[in-house]
Amino acid sequence: MKIILKNLLAGFLEGLKMFSENIAHLVNVILLSIVYIFAVGITAMIAKFFGKHFLELKIDKNCVSYWSDLNLKRKDLQEYLKQF
Amino acid sequence: MYILGISCYYHDASAALIKDGQVVAAAEEERFTRKKHDFSFPVMAINYCLESQKIKINDVAFVGFYEKPFLKFERVLSQHLEMFPWSFKTFLSSMPSWINEKLRLPKTLKKKIGWNGGVLFIEHHLAHAASSFLTSPFEDSAIITVDGVGEWTTTAYGVGIGNNINLEKEIKFPSSIGLLYSTITAYLGFSVNNSEYKLMGLSSYGKMDREQNVYYKKLKQVVDIKEDGSFRFDMSYFKFHWSSRMPAKKLCDLLGGPVRKSEKEEITERQQDIAAAVQLITEDIIIKILNHVQKVSKNDKVVLAGGAALNSVCNGKILKNTNFKSIWIQPNASDGGASIGVALYIYHTLLNNPRTKQTGNIYLGPEFSNQDIELFLNNEQIKYSRFENSEEMINKTAELIKNNYVVGWFQKGMEWGPRALGARSILASPINPLVKELLNTKVKHREKFRPFAPVVCADDAMKYFECDQPLPEPTDYMLMVYPVKKEWQDKIPSVTHVDGSGRLQTIRREQNELYYDLVKKFGELTGVPILVNTSFNIRGEPIVCTPAEAYKCMMGTGIDCLVMGNYLIKREDNPQDMWDSEQLATD
Repeated sequence: MKIILKNLLAGFLEGLKMFSENIAHLVNVILLSIVYIFAVGITAMIAKFFGKHFLELKIDKNCVSYWSDLNLKRKDLQEYLKQF
Repeated sequence: MYILGISCYYHDASAALIKDGQVVAAAEEERFTRKKHDFSFPVMAINYCLESQKIKINDVAFVGFYEKPFLKFERVLSQHLEMFPWSFKTFLSSMPSWINEKLRLPKTLKKKIGWNGGVLFIEHHLAHAASSFLTSPFEDSAIITVDGVGEWTTTAYGVGIGNNINLEKEIKFPSSIGLLYSTITAYLGFSVNNSEYKLMGLSSYGKMDREQNVYYKKLKQVVDIKEDGSFRFDMSYFKFHWSSRMPAKKLCDLLGGPVRKSEKEEITERQQDIAAAVQLITEDIIIKILNHVQKVSKNDKVVLAGGAALNSVCNGKILKNTNFKSIWIQPNASDGGASIGVALYIYHTLLNNPRTKQTGNIYLGPEFSNQDIELFLNNEQIKYSRFENSEEMINKTAELIKNNYVVGWFQKGMEWGPRALGARSILASPINPLVKELLNTKVKHREKFRPFAPVVCADDAMKYFECDQPLPEPTDYMLMVYPVKKEWQDKIPSVTHVDGSGRLQTIRREQNELYYDLVKKFGELTGVPILVNTSFNIRGEPIVCTPAEAYKCMMGTGIDCLVMGNYLIKREDNPQDMWDSEQLATD
């Protein structure tokens, strides 16, 4: 009897975990969709309206070189504690 | 002073530990979790590094990470802004991992390994540059880093002097040699961030003549290459900046067909030519960059890093086609190796400690003593015999290989990097023409077109291969492909690729005495001091790490025997453990 109850409880907890994961996934999708449409979408449309591009997508046959300045060299140690 | 370097969350997570500027332990997470190219937080690799030195995390002075997560996140957001609304699906799938994991590294470090201090975030390409320059034998050199993408940078160059590195110029995402190579890898039905080396092997079957290869001309429409090696892509041919799939329909139309559906489909001549075309374009760009960098840096030494530095076919052509006289690439040039770069950059550059010569030890992973091995064999009731001494081990193993046995070779600490270099290797005779097919079908379960690599003692290399002179050190790490001399091609058919080349590993006695002596002994017995050396794994699995994994791998494949420490274990003596690994061989 104890074993049956233990198995039932284990099954119930596993089902509950799966259910909560599905709910979390659903909430994620809804929230991220809202962020995508209203935050990303509106910013992207405003940027397009003003002709702003975030990535270089086209070849420029007239330019001599595509190298751009990087100048990545030693900075103060504290600078590296930043994630940006 | 101990410093821990970490790389993870893209592919090939790893950890490296340095002590007073010397790398003392390093390993990739995949070897412990047994998930190939595992990119998760490398908790097991970190624990190994600490345990190997018998220290706790609190004994570590600094922890460094191989990129700036917020800068990378800015690039990811820029992709979504530029490609709205097409990037919706990718946005939904990628954002949870950014929010829960990638932007919360300090919390993960605290939770998983108990690190309460700050974390030093080093720019991705700087970590690559440091991993190569600060391990190099050069006091000063030009530096070139080429990979898929870091934060924004995909390609960079600069100079290293003493303990300082300055990366001066860059090419930014989405134009990327690494991602072009990966796109064609995906187009030909292979897995991205895994099978790029298969494309390199396949390219030798295609037309490597620029005039005759029609796909080379077609692919040149996709990328504009300037004289100084800088380049930009026409992104209408690609989808990787907004989708999980890489080639766009326009690229499929250009190349005359849809994406190859699976690796099971027969490879056609057209696909071989496409592989050759992308290899040629890659070589064009890299050689032009090298020539430009040599001109502006006025230095005749160069170090390379990033995933593209694992393109050994291209590497073998560098010294012949540029004015560089010396080259250095560290054995783990890809993202996995950046953890070493981070740690060395903190010690030498940020803390201003003078450069120390690295010992050149590449066996930085877990090591098992004879007692460990014997305990395992006894516990598992495995039948074995013990060699009296190393001389007997060398003589007997060479004899077995001469008699066409396939031998699993498990010695020393596990290698650092993607290649098996004589610690976790499968060895066979290069003289037997059937060995290639036997290894491909019965041991590795992999595609027939893929070549096997030769190992030769450094002092014999010039006799059999058309190497650069003096022999570049990266050849020790299987990073240079050279032609096999014409008169030897028929005599070592198992390691001669279809185009007459070989991706050789040269071995020096001071690196690995047993391995060196074994190759020499085989030479004494057969007149050819060369062995087939392939990684000790089956397709789709990481290289074995422990005695148990080595034994299991042997018993499930066509490996005849295993030389593990001082012990010889024969497959035929342990029939109760046999199994068939073929169904597991996928990637």
